Amino acid sequence: MTAPRAPEVGALAPSRELAPEANAPTTRAPAASPAIELVHAARWYGNVVAVNDVSFTLGAGVTGLLGPNGAGKTTLLHMLAGFLAPSAGEVRVLGRMPHRDPSVYRQIGLVPEREAVYSFLTGLEYVRFNARLQGLPNAGGAARAAIARVGLEDAMDRPIGTYSKGMRQRVKVAGSLVHDPQVLLLDEPFNGMDPRQRIAMMDLLGELAEAGRTILFSSHVLEEVERVGTEILVMVAGRLAASGDYHAIRALMTDRPHTITLRSSDDRRLATALMADPAVFAVELTEAGLSVQTAQLGAFRRLVAGASRSAGVRLFEVVSADESLEHVFDYLVRR
Amino acid sequence: MRGNPGVGSIGAIPEIARITLRQLLGRRRTLLLVLLSTLPVLLAIAFRAGGETAIEPFTRRVFDTISITILLPLVAILFGSGAFGAEIDDGTIVYLLAKPLSRWAVVAGKALSAAAVAILLTVASTALAGFIDLAPAGNDGVLATEAQVLAMVVGSVCYVSLFLALSLFTRRALVIGVGYMLVWEGALSVLLPGIANLSIRQYALGASAAIYSLPVQEARLSAETGFILAGVLVAATLAIATWRLMRFELPGGAD
Repeated sequence: MTAPRAPEVGALAPSRELAPEANAPTTRAPAASPAIELVHAARWYGNVVAVNDVSFTLGAGVTGLLGPNGAGKTTLLHMLAGFLAPSAGEVRVLGRMPHRDPSVYRQIGLVPEREAVYSFLTGLEYVRFNARLQGLPNAGGAARAAIARVGLEDAMDRPIGTYSKGMRQRVKVAGSLVHDPQVLLLDEPFNGMDPRQRIAMMDLLGELAEAGRTILFSSHVLEEVERVGTEILVMVAGRLAASGDYHAIRALMTDRPHTITLRSSDDRRLATALMADPAVFAVELTEAGLSVQTAQLGAFRRLVAGASRSAGVRLFEVVSADESLEHVFDYLVRR
Repeated sequence: MRGNPGVGSIGAIPEIARITLRQLLGRRRTLLLVLLSTLPVLLAIAFRAGGETAIEPFTRRVFDTISITILLPLVAILFGSGAFGAEIDDGTIVYLLAKPLSRWAVVAGKALSAAAVAILLTVASTALAGFIDLAPAGNDGVLATEAQVLAMVVGSVCYVSLFLALSLFTRRALVIGVGYMLVWEGALSVLLPGIANLSIRQYALGASAAIYSLPVQEARLSAETGFILAGVLVAATLAIATWRLMRFELPGGAD
């Protein structure tokens, strides 16, 4: 038994564009010369397309680059950092094409995803090494200041090999901002951090953004963006699926159709009871049980208990089938 | 318009060399190489104890058979291919490349440190072994030892440069290096005199002739030719390494 109804989805904020319109350049931060600019940028490896026709511009502020594993986030960040040439289109940072132009690193700080840091160096030695390679006149002073910004003073004289994963992330961030770059690119910077460290790091990124820096960080965890990123880019399968205000996109994700599978003592009777409610827009009897689609997860949770009770049906199991982030992103793409 | 990353790049060379030295010396394989480098010294002690202090037998059996044939290529190939190889494998190369430095400075820092360690190990082993066994041979013994040391210096720089460059093209630089050492240097260059111009071993032996004509079996190049070919090899491979590093790309990763 299937009875489809139109899903209810949140209205889109004006600043956001969803695929396929995302292929057109999206402009935010009305700076004369954007710090980051991608124009129909693509990157492929043989037959595999990692980034597909992505266009956007970013000015000062924090932007979260969201997407499931394999979405192309790291490839995009590596193109911005000059470590990958675009196969097509243009990638510009501060008006320059970063590939094969090392001088651009005076204005770029990069925190790569890989955990490896020179484990035989102390935290201070590592950050000072970065400062010296940047040619800073007072490398020691700049290194200590950067370490203080990430709150690692107590551990700065210990070898990095003894650091926890979260501490390694922080010392990498300190190394990347020791020269006070205009653009900071961070690949999964919150990996391995405990909640307190995450909040401290998010606050630091916020402070840098307020000081006029352009910060782009990637994450596959939606909640990581909540505190720090008011603007987000969502990538799925190499494409820019959505971009714009975090809260509007978050609302869209919350209000998307959810599929819930129920097992009860009488699925058919329960289906009839549920169909009467406007929160439910499709029900289907399957071998696994009763598959229900709703656009309002919270309302449905309240509904199902009452409906089963009034129908005299015993409820054995309620399973949400599509709560993973991949499903959420998938939904955005299909939109 | 592109900026000029060359400014300040020279100052970065010692920093890069220092980090690379710590990386190379911190590996377990370095300890094995130190142990291997004691072998010529132990043999020299044995020769001296047995009263065999003439230049020819020592040069043939210790220097020619072990020092320049096994110790030199193994040490220099390991350090040469490891200078970039380990950083590429673990991803720390990013911290060097995301800097406003000319790529030649990065190559120079890496090559200097790898060559320094290779020279230190091979020269210490060769000089000590020569001093122990050839001292009774008088001035000729000293000259023969100096010639062997010079061969080690020239060979170290050549092997390091070649395999440092190769490690930027393939992750199998070490395997290729050992194959080169065994097949090309070990077998083909002995059997086919014509490829002496393409043999680092021959460059090193040729260069050593500037000090003393060592009694080794198949030295085929003059000192002048040895130096010129060694210089060309080093300049060409380091230029290729710089070119390659300018085009170096990181993989996109799982994301």
